Amino acid sequence: MSNRRSRAHQSSGSSRISDDQIIELVSKLHQLLPEINRGRGRRSNKASANKVLQETCNYIRSLHREVDNLSDRLSQLLSTIDAESPEAAIIRTLI
Amino acid sequence: MQNTSLKQEFLKNWIKGLQLHSSFNKNTTIFERRKAIKLSADIAIASTRNSTTRWSRALIADASRDGSNKTLIEKISGREVPHKASLGLIRCSKRILKRSRFARRRAAPVAGLIAKKLVKSRTRALKRLVPGGEGMDEISLIKETIDYIVSLRVQVDVMGRMATAADRLIPFKTI
Repeated sequence: MSNRRSRAHQSSGSSRISDDQIIELVSKLHQLLPEINRGRGRRSNKASANKVLQETCNYIRSLHREVDNLSDRLSQLLSTIDAESPEAAIIRTLI
Repeated sequence: MQNTSLKQEFLKNWIKGLQLHSSFNKNTTIFERRKAIKLSADIAIASTRNSTTRWSRALIADASRDGSNKTLIEKISGREVPHKASLGLIRCSKRILKRSRFARRRAAPVAGLIAKKLVKSRTRALKRLVPGGEGMDEISLIKETIDYIVSLRVQVDVMGRMATAADRLIPFKTI
């Protein structure tokens, strides 16, 4: 909602609000990414935002691949699937 | 990772979809089984959002385009799949949305310095990876991405546990 208001006025104050919002969101995103690729120290906001976006794309692609691989494995392991199957019962206790 | 209730809801939805597949035909090919498993999982995780996020709405809308998925989607999400005619309406309103986004861009920049400098190619790549991403502004895209990643992790976690459990049970199963 504050976005809509700040877009109407082109003052530098409004662009600061949007910048902060983006910084906050990018850092939230950054926290979701796997540890390994986080790197050390902070460079400029622009560079790290770029890096975060890049790592995000890589991460999403790897998650997609995992879903595909698991679907492959499961299609081999499960012939019939129902709520009473032992697998489902086990998962329920684990979650 | 917590998200226990999210995992439970995903599992419940996913099994609903898998049960439907079982009731059709015992002699399905492994290829058909794989497709059913993945599709059920995708619809199941999207349904946990209850249409509150764009990526989940886009995923389900995309799957709805194939008429043969209708029963599965309705069973898992508990919602009726719109008729082909109204899907056209959805597409039409996307066009209107795109037109108004363009108009807005001419009037004033969306956000400030950093947003302008977010590398366009990275954003473009991300838009292609997140369902429904093409029509989003930068801020919505990041918000949707965060939710999408959280959901994907739940999906991978539960599917992985199922695979591990099934793996361990194999010696005890009669084939």
